[in-house]
Amino acid sequence: MHNAILQAINGVSLAALLFLLASGFTLTFGLMRVVNMAHGAYYLLGGYIGLSITRYTGSFTLGVLGGGLAIVPLGFLIDRFLIRRTGENHLAQVLLTVGIAFVIGDIALKIWGGDNLKVPTPMFLRGAMELPGGIIYPTYRFVLILFGILVGLSLWLLYRKTQIGAVVRAGVDDREIVSAMGINIDRLFVLVSALATFLAGMAGVVGGAFLTLYPGAEWEILIYALVVVIFGGLGSLEGAMLGALIVGLLDAYGRWLYPDFSYFILFGPMAILMLFKPQGIFGRAG
Amino acid sequence: MQANHIRIVVALIALAAALVAPFAVGPFWMTLLTQILIFGLLALAVDLLLGHAGLFSICHASFFAVSAYTVAILQVRYGQPTIVAAPAGLLAGTLLSVLYGSAVRTRGVYFILITIAMGYIIWGAMYRWASFTGGDNGITNVPAPAIGGIAIQSQIAYYYFVLAVVIACMIGYGILVRSPFGLALRGIKGSESRMQSLGYRTTSHLYAAFVISGAIASLAGVLYVYYNRFVNPVAASFNISIEVALMAIVGGSGTIIGPFIGAGILLGMRNWVSSFLELHAAVMGLVFIITILWAPTGIMGIVRRLSRRRMDAGSKSV
Repeated sequence: MHNAILQAINGVSLAALLFLLASGFTLTFGLMRVVNMAHGAYYLLGGYIGLSITRYTGSFTLGVLGGGLAIVPLGFLIDRFLIRRTGENHLAQVLLTVGIAFVIGDIALKIWGGDNLKVPTPMFLRGAMELPGGIIYPTYRFVLILFGILVGLSLWLLYRKTQIGAVVRAGVDDREIVSAMGINIDRLFVLVSALATFLAGMAGVVGGAFLTLYPGAEWEILIYALVVVIFGGLGSLEGAMLGALIVGLLDAYGRWLYPDFSYFILFGPMAILMLFKPQGIFGRAG
Repeated sequence: MQANHIRIVVALIALAAALVAPFAVGPFWMTLLTQILIFGLLALAVDLLLGHAGLFSICHASFFAVSAYTVAILQVRYGQPTIVAAPAGLLAGTLLSVLYGSAVRTRGVYFILITIAMGYIIWGAMYRWASFTGGDNGITNVPAPAIGGIAIQSQIAYYYFVLAVVIACMIGYGILVRSPFGLALRGIKGSESRMQSLGYRTTSHLYAAFVISGAIASLAGVLYVYYNRFVNPVAASFNISIEVALMAIVGGSGTIIGPFIGAGILLGMRNWVSSFLELHAAVMGLVFIITILWAPTGIMGIVRRLSRRRMDAGSKSV
């Protein structure tokens, strides 16, 4: 019983991290029809930059913000000068962005080396706390869950309750009409992709504090984010929330109960879901 | 007619070069050439879907690896002879493609994503199910292939064996893509709804293409495990799946020789670059970017464009 609860918290805290990454991925796909496999590389690079900032300034908060902000111009340039040239050819996008991720990953390896690096967290996040029932759990992961909920709620409010959100939703539905209504769709693209890259870079710092950063981490986290997005439905923010929870819990319980087959526990249900409902739980056809 | 003559002459020259290569180059190049043939065959398998049917599969390393692991486990752990292990490997990989072929129910980006997930299932099984697959270390000490007591021990002999298998595959593949079935696949790539309204069962065609492609990938897996003499989860990795697709595109998607040219360029370049530069993954990444943005038709596309231009010029002068 103890273990089951522990694993649930593990799963939810992983879900919070995955949501940070997957929300950006799903919105860029929904709006721009871009499959960006370099999203994981943004995560890793953001994490490394945040790590260096935290080490240099001693402030974790600055590291989180800096790691996110540093990726925004890079993401903008890559989107504007490379990805945009592929149009809506997903095959070309996948190969192109995989290539970009290779380049970023290799350069990061050259700068930060091949060891597992952990982003240092401030003192008050370091200890463990005791839950009712005598369960002891790291404080950091609780704060991460709260942070995930906070970001999720802000994104949801932005997406559902503001004018910008309404335009983005309209853009996900039908870009051409939005454009014909006189809305500058290009500026919207820049805005959403900046938000997505910021979230990815920030997720790298936040995740690097408990999953550590190492070469190859970009692919592991990207694949998890892909599964999240597939479960929830490409282009759906609510789907990313639900998908993150499903993937986080499946992963935690899978690793605990069937460590040999944990990948199957994660990818098997997804493959089956995709066969019958490729648009995911919240996705729409077309 | 002229173009056909040129094609035959080029093919004969390439064949002659492949046949005399062992006498002209050292052992390093022999291993590289064998590797190029094997990965070229895997790229050819991927290209049946990519270049002819318009489906981008990122799980072909799975068929490749399942077949390689089956051979390795049967030979090393159960002491089965090649005559049992090799067909069993081929069968296991192909059976997996029969199962994974259900992915053809989806199209476009969904097909890409589902095949990524399927690929990770196999990679994860090989990596985590250590008691059966050897985990990270994989399976080592695979013996040389032997049929009835005659083992193919030397590198040169194995090279000729791989070359013979690959040429047989290329001939079969050539017949397949020129058949009505191959035409139907390209029709589906052009416009699936048009083919449907002509009465073709497009999904069945794509499914058949997927399984054939999986069988070729499995054959490449058998050749690979006897070449490498060991196999580890890297064989099933996302990187292999994506790199062989790039090989097909670099060489020229939709052609028979293209995937082998692509394999030669990519593997040759990796060997060359990694001998003096640490950042060889970044260089590979640049090749991805450059190919997609500036040479999406690959080497064969460029050759074709040049020869067409020359022919146009020739016909004008007459």
